[in-house]
Amino acid sequence: MDRLINIDRRIIFIFIFLGIAIPLLVDIPLPIKPTPTVRSVYDEIERISVEDADRPVLVSFSYGASTVPEMVPMTRAILRHLFSRGRKVVGICLWPEAVGIAQPIMDELAVEFGMEYGADYAFLGYKPGNLAVVLNLGQSLAGTFPFDAAGTPVGELAVLKGVRNLKDFSFVFDFAAGDSMEFWWIPFGQEKHRFPFAGGCTAVMAPDLYPFLQSKQLVGLLGGLAGAAEYETLIEAPGSATAGMEPQSVSHLIIILFIVLGNGVYFTTRRRGGKA
Amino acid sequence: MSKIASWIAVAGVALHVAAGAQVPVDIVAFDTPNDAGASLTITWPRAETAVVSGYRVYVATAADGPFRLAVESATPGLKSGEPALFGYDDDNERFHVVHITDYAVGETDEPAPLQDGTLYFVRLGAQTSTGEVLGEVASAVPGGNWFNTAKWNNIVLTIGLSVCILFFISIARRKDLFIRRIAGLEALDEALGRATEMGKSVLFVHGLKGMDQIPTIAAVNILGRVAQRTARFDTDLRVANVDPVVMSVSQEVVKEAYLKEGRPDAYRPDSVFMAATEQFSYAAAVAGMMVRERPAAHVMMGYFYAESLLLAETGSTTGAIQIAGTDAYTQLPFFVTTCDYTLMGEELYAASAYLSKEPKLLGSLKGQDVGKALLIGLLFVGTVVASFGVDFLTHLFAAL
Amino acid sequence: MLFMTRTLPFLFCFAFGMTGFAIYYVPHEWAQSVEREFALWLRLVYAFAYILGLVSLLSLHWSKIRQRQAGWAYSLIVYISFGVMFLFVVYNDGNGPFTSQATTGPYQWMFTSIHVASSATMFSMLAFYISSAAYRTFRARTPEAAILLVSAIIVMLGRVPIGAYISDVIPDTMQWLMSVPNMAAKRGILMGVSLGAIATSLRIIFGIERSYLGGGGD
Repeated sequence: MDRLINIDRRIIFIFIFLGIAIPLLVDIPLPIKPTPTVRSVYDEIERISVEDADRPVLVSFSYGASTVPEMVPMTRAILRHLFSRGRKVVGICLWPEAVGIAQPIMDELAVEFGMEYGADYAFLGYKPGNLAVVLNLGQSLAGTFPFDAAGTPVGELAVLKGVRNLKDFSFVFDFAAGDSMEFWWIPFGQEKHRFPFAGGCTAVMAPDLYPFLQSKQLVGLLGGLAGAAEYETLIEAPGSATAGMEPQSVSHLIIILFIVLGNGVYFTTRRRGGKA
Repeated sequence: MSKIASWIAVAGVALHVAAGAQVPVDIVAFDTPNDAGASLTITWPRAETAVVSGYRVYVATAADGPFRLAVESATPGLKSGEPALFGYDDDNERFHVVHITDYAVGETDEPAPLQDGTLYFVRLGAQTSTGEVLGEVASAVPGGNWFNTAKWNNIVLTIGLSVCILFFISIARRKDLFIRRIAGLEALDEALGRATEMGKSVLFVHGLKGMDQIPTIAAVNILGRVAQRTARFDTDLRVANVDPVVMSVSQEVVKEAYLKEGRPDAYRPDSVFMAATEQFSYAAAVAGMMVRERPAAHVMMGYFYAESLLLAETGSTTGAIQIAGTDAYTQLPFFVTTCDYTLMGEELYAASAYLSKEPKLLGSLKGQDVGKALLIGLLFVGTVVASFGVDFLTHLFAAL
Repeated sequence: MLFMTRTLPFLFCFAFGMTGFAIYYVPHEWAQSVEREFALWLRLVYAFAYILGLVSLLSLHWSKIRQRQAGWAYSLIVYISFGVMFLFVVYNDGNGPFTSQATTGPYQWMFTSIHVASSATMFSMLAFYISSAAYRTFRARTPEAAILLVSAIIVMLGRVPIGAYISDVIPDTMQWLMSVPNMAAKRGILMGVSLGAIATSLRIIFGIERSYLGGGGD
């Protein structure tokens, strides 16, 4: 019983490893039901595609290499949805590492949907400054990003014609693995200029952002790989997030089983008068 | 035939006039309040019937024109949609509102922005089935405003809270203020004593944020107190940093603490070092240190991200006593499950006051408590009255 | 000297703090242009902080190599890695350093295959660590702990498709837990932390808090 109470962590690690590896090899289809917070993002993009189709959408990439497995699937899903509706997209990065991750994805999906750089989409690269970049964007886009990532003046990009500042975008979406949504975009962007704003974040951060959903400062939220999988279901384009739901489901079950086992051993030991 | 034609023409005009008579097009024009300038706002009553298919707003720099198109809208907004400008009057539902920032100067030219200080003449055109009905001309001068009246509630609360905090700081200099026991901080002495008995070091980690962030300032304050105690007990202190600015401030803080305890000889500059400059490199470096050097106590104070669980779980396997404090809401569960004591949220800020018993810190803590008591009271009263349909308090505290 | 290390920073702090506070309430173009300038200066400071961080890192590892401290070989690897990456940034897939960064080439390969892979691996370790932490600490020792345990299980199941597969009640309950108790707790902590931040900011602006200058003198 003592051994079960103080089970070697490595045994738990092995079970988790198997719980993740085996479902990746064996297909276990599970239905994915989109949650209201994810559906709100989808509905908002559908709405602006009809009601506000002329103005571009701004996507901000604020994540790094460590969160690629969680953030890249939702990046692909959101960009896929935007491009499939013919929306013009402008990408910026608030984290330096995001440039090397986001730019290839934008270019790849743009080619898939026949989007032309400069006319249909643009990538403006990274600027240091965190909240200061958002503050400056609220006043002047050209003043904050005078050139795109390739060195072309933004005034020469047709996709940015008529865009002076954040208020001239129909929708802003932030992919956040850190502080960007809660401490930069919402207080210094959305609160000042009141544009439609939504975001995607790592699963661990999602509970942090629920107050902003209720106060409608966030239109919707994609939380982690599960949020990305729900969005792939909504756009009917299953990808790596959907594939990741099977191992995630099994590993969650394994953790729950271990917790139940641990509690069972604990109560048994306590009943016997031992120390748990 | 001509008589019939003239009767038709008169009837047409009568109909036109009759249609126009149902279409309110007389506007009120004024400088847009609470803005940086170069904007006018016009309001007009909503049409009672659906005779209007859209509106056009024309702007000119002279009373007799030429009037140029500034805004065209099939569904202009209502005053009720802009409580920051017009409040929450029920009557606001009956008025349209439009903001003008520029007007067309030619077919292909860029629109010309409004200029502050210039008198502009504005008139509204309502598009009906019988044609456009034009209203009277109104005039206004755009200009920037020096105070955003929609934020008056914010400034009153801010000044009130600030005065309260400063007041209690001054009170604290004359009177002792009570501060409740914070278990995690009481355990700090126990942790440091344990490290001294075991002849092992104390590891201090202050999170990932920079020196300009509040949690890091609180953490550095706590480091000062911990350093004083380690100097007093002659315990080895190791401070792992991720930011160069925080590292140099920490070095100064620790050196000063050792000086205060009269132990300048015991201070070692390499006890405060840079572990790495990147999140997971830092986590790997510190975790490696925990496993190799086996400090007896880990003190993790500040703002943490995903590395929190890596550090705390690795630390728990070494058997060290762990005291953590963070205002990172998402990392609290990880610290609570893996550490012996956790300071949650603003307890981190209170910790510095608790350890030092300094008047300025105790006073500001008291001021915060008063602010919190006020908020709780307002929340309770506001919830009750809002449940009965009285929105006064909700509107009073709305962030506009 | 005291003027430069103590008095001048206080004056700057007070001036910029009060200006930043006032700007929030003044919509006039004059205030907005001041805000724009402040934000630009802040961005410059952030940019220079990267240089400072790089110099600090390199000098730290250089002193370890020079003094042959324990683990100095790893510091040598830091220098070699930095040198190799820097060379390939300058090479820029044959385009040279004066054109925009190429999205192909050795640098991109190293970034994706080494940096992204190793960073993601470190982050993935959390999955294992949370499992062992959960097993060790999720015990229903008290009624509150039992409620926490049940909530955790519902949220864990509700966030993945298997929860909906078992029963629709699970994701619905998870959504309620996230939208009501979780949000209430977060909001409470957020208010407390915000009040703490206001108090600390006031102390810094009025020169009562001086720990950020170093020396710990209060």
